[in-house]
Amino acid sequence: MPIDKIFKDDANEEKGERARMASFIGAMAVADLVKSTLGPKGMDKILQSTGRGHSVTVTNDGATILKSLHIDNPAAKVLVDISKVQDDEVGDGTTSVVVLAGELLREAEKLVTSKIHPMTIIAGYRMAAECARDALLKRVMDNKEDAEKFRSDLMKIAMTTLCSKILSQDKEHFAEMAVDAVFRLKGSTNLEAIQIIKKPGGSLRDSFLDEGFILDKKIGIGQPKRIENAKILVANTAMDTDKVKIYGARVRVDSMTKVAEIEGAEKEKMKDKVNKILAHGINCFVNRQLIYNFPEELFADAGVLAIEHADFEGIERLGLVTGGEIASTFDNPESVKLGHCKLIEEIMIGEDKLIHFSGVAMGQACSIVLRGASHHVLDEAERSLHDALCVLSQTVNDSRVLLGGGWPEMVMAKEVDELARKTAGKKSHAIEAFSRALVAIPTTIADNAGLDSAELVAQLRAEHHNQGCNAGIDVISGAVGDMEERGIYEAFKVKQAVLLSATEAAEMILRVDEIITCAPRRREDRM
Amino acid sequence: MAAVAAPMASRPRASKSESFVDNKRKEDIRSANINAGRAVADAVRTSLGPKGMDKMISTASGEVIITNDGATILNKMDVLQPAAKMMVELSKSQDSAAGDGTTTVVVLAGALLRVCQVLLGAGIHPTVISDALHKSCGKSVDILTAMAVPVELTDRDSLVKSASTSLNSKVVSQYSTLLAPLAVDAVLSVIDPEKPEIVDLRDIKIVKKLGGTVDDTHTVKGLVFDKKVSHAAGGPTRMENAKIAVIQFQISPPKTDIEQSIVVSDYTQMDRILKEERNYILGMIKKIKATGCNVLLIQKSILRDAVTDLSLHYLAKAKIMVIKDVERDEIEFVTKTLNCLPIANIEHFRAEKLGFAELVEEASLGDGKILKITGIKDMGRTTSVLVRGSNQLVLDEAERSLHDALCVVRCLVSKRFLIAGGGAPEIELSRQLGAWAKVLHGMEGYCVKSFAEALEVIPYTLAENAGLNPIAIVTELRNKHAQGEINSGINVRKGQITNILEENVVQPLLVSTSAITLATECVRMILKIDDIVTVR
Repeated sequence: MPIDKIFKDDANEEKGERARMASFIGAMAVADLVKSTLGPKGMDKILQSTGRGHSVTVTNDGATILKSLHIDNPAAKVLVDISKVQDDEVGDGTTSVVVLAGELLREAEKLVTSKIHPMTIIAGYRMAAECARDALLKRVMDNKEDAEKFRSDLMKIAMTTLCSKILSQDKEHFAEMAVDAVFRLKGSTNLEAIQIIKKPGGSLRDSFLDEGFILDKKIGIGQPKRIENAKILVANTAMDTDKVKIYGARVRVDSMTKVAEIEGAEKEKMKDKVNKILAHGINCFVNRQLIYNFPEELFADAGVLAIEHADFEGIERLGLVTGGEIASTFDNPESVKLGHCKLIEEIMIGEDKLIHFSGVAMGQACSIVLRGASHHVLDEAERSLHDALCVLSQTVNDSRVLLGGGWPEMVMAKEVDELARKTAGKKSHAIEAFSRALVAIPTTIADNAGLDSAELVAQLRAEHHNQGCNAGIDVISGAVGDMEERGIYEAFKVKQAVLLSATEAAEMILRVDEIITCAPRRREDRM
Repeated sequence: MAAVAAPMASRPRASKSESFVDNKRKEDIRSANINAGRAVADAVRTSLGPKGMDKMISTASGEVIITNDGATILNKMDVLQPAAKMMVELSKSQDSAAGDGTTTVVVLAGALLRVCQVLLGAGIHPTVISDALHKSCGKSVDILTAMAVPVELTDRDSLVKSASTSLNSKVVSQYSTLLAPLAVDAVLSVIDPEKPEIVDLRDIKIVKKLGGTVDDTHTVKGLVFDKKVSHAAGGPTRMENAKIAVIQFQISPPKTDIEQSIVVSDYTQMDRILKEERNYILGMIKKIKATGCNVLLIQKSILRDAVTDLSLHYLAKAKIMVIKDVERDEIEFVTKTLNCLPIANIEHFRAEKLGFAELVEEASLGDGKILKITGIKDMGRTTSVLVRGSNQLVLDEAERSLHDALCVVRCLVSKRFLIAGGGAPEIELSRQLGAWAKVLHGMEGYCVKSFAEALEVIPYTLAENAGLNPIAIVTELRNKHAQGEINSGINVRKGQITNILEENVVQPLLVSTSAITLATECVRMILKIDDIVTVR
């Protein structure tokens, strides 16, 4: 007799074929969702929040779309995760990785229906992925030695990344900015030193790179608006009042004068604190918390520039770029590391006044000020620029580059195809399927551009039959073209990550033969 | 090349990995977005131009607003559709970039969306349309710049003209002769000679006071507060040769930040405490008096009463005028105007921190009273404008109109070019773009030609709103422009085509260029969307 009560009431399980179907369908649905954003002529999506405010985001960035989706399907969640990882690791290719994984699964589904065991498919995929990676390695270019060429490589990579985004019309301008910013980092991948400030107004073309640090805050009343050779103390301390943080603490007095005395004492304490801060020999004080009127006036009297309410991120970054440490006690002036910069001044961007720190200790820091018509444009521009910066900073470390426009996929597909022919046994079907999945990327790029993908991909395949060909899809002219001439480059690291994580994700989903949904935790009944 | 793409796009896809292409939905979403955008544009269309009508908005809280200002209308409209929201954002952006032309920008975007719909229907790929839009936008800015006339800030007449063009479409149009010069003078007075390109409109304070008519609106050389002097204890309400202190502390019994309680055990003690309280306040007031200060501006305090009856009484006795509840945000403006420093502690109350003014007086206006500080010594570069109106609605609209006028003047300060109004730039753009489209290749030329036609929506709407025959007017306008009279525009008052520059209908170049760039940017964004995803 069947044991029907293994699971709790609401839990259920799906087995074998059904489970596999569910995960295939989920993963493919997600891949299809983001598919139309791929490539230079990819479309954008509106993300409409169901939360309060019904805020609207317009984006082309695969990771952003997937991150915000409501997803219930476990396999789909795996794809969302790999795109997130791709975003964290290399920054770009977040859509490609999902599309590739989706295609791999689509091919696998066909193989499974023709009675090939998932494990065989996995083995075949593994061999194919290995072979594809080797094929790429054979064709990489490395211009690390030649500084000028390397720079132009970076420019091209940045432009390729940006051309699928909203910044595509001004991609040269932004590529220039991104490359400059990344070169300032001198090889570190710490993108925190690059600050992106968004200011509505003007157009995207008005965006600029600023050497130095910009803080979106106001300088206190009556304080100097310009300081040269600033010594900066970055602090996180209460500058309203020092309170006894014990609940119910109170003082009892028996006369008004005593209350006045206590008030006076509190003031005195504040004054002491300010004096201690001043004893550091600073002329600029940046606090994360509020600065009340009284200490503000004291600072003004001492000719110190005090900035209140700098948000947490702001002061951390400020500490980082000026070389100072965030202090919260001020008893030992010697032990506190002060930040330094050559000039602090108030500048105006658009309608707002901002504080500009230039000549900062860490020469790596810089700020990118983005201007644009609306918040939607700015947010999307920031995401795009961030992608470009990520890719570039990765490329600085791993300087191997590839051509773009579906070129790497075709190269890989060709090698994988050859491997399939050489391999005996059922595995060769899986390897062949892998090559078909790879070709899906140029196909999608062409489809999105409204081109005849079947025709173009067939042409491309023929071109690639010749050894050492540089052909890819030129979306602008709508034909097969030489990618090297068009200057369409991609970072090797991105492609490798796309290939490997997509294969791994597909493999993981393929292995699944049972989905167990746990019983949801019951809410407390509101009786 | 791009021409090849379109027929291919309409052909059924032969991609082998795709068994089923769900393009229907994408088209649906795109056209839904476009329709939503157009609906928003249609809603504000009738308020365009000098003979445009106003809208009455009744908000959820029951408040009624009557306005002609596109940005305000859209802002109050509770739109939910994402694309419609983007149109609202668009008009907001125009408001912050140029301040005027908030209706124009939306109407323009609506017209562009309409042609995009037609182009999409013809099977042109959205990105091709988008690129063509970008190109024609760049070209338009060039054409507009070529049409523009440079203006000098010393040329007050031109500035006044452009300010009155902006005011002419508002409720307060009959007062444009008064408000336009007022706006110009206000802006010119706050320009810092060191940074002549930048005008911070926050340096101009607009104070609204109900009563009188818009005619009574005037600038005040000095400060105006919509506040009363504290009368409670019969203190002075008029002070000549005032020494003004802006204080951020309170003149009331002490209160510590730590919780405290005074323990009173018998009657005599209570008496003593009262006396102490009195002495404490007296001590403070003596210190204030010692510096010669006779007017106190007290910052609003949330922690405790800024003043008590007792302290008011003593201050009145000491012949010190008290104005309380000055907002914290206003402190910077006040100190800048009075050229003084705020004082945060009684110990720091020193004569050098005071500001001086010849006269501080309370004036009765309508149903309330306002405070005027005039004849300020070393006054900062700020201006106050006192706006009057017979009812709240007029008053609010007058303020918005004045704000628009100020923005127009500000635009001229930052970009010193003028361009003709009355639909002249749009029709000229349409003509030149149309000509340019003929030399372009492929699909782009076709798109640009359509955009050129879309731009005629502005003169068309202007004529329509003025009750003229739009088709006759636009055709004649086109004819005039073809003959090289690039400054011909619709003279709405006379109901015919005239040289619009001679009619003094001018607007800043920045308004026109920003309207066209922002509108195209928004339309391109809407075009590129093919899906709406609901997220958390």
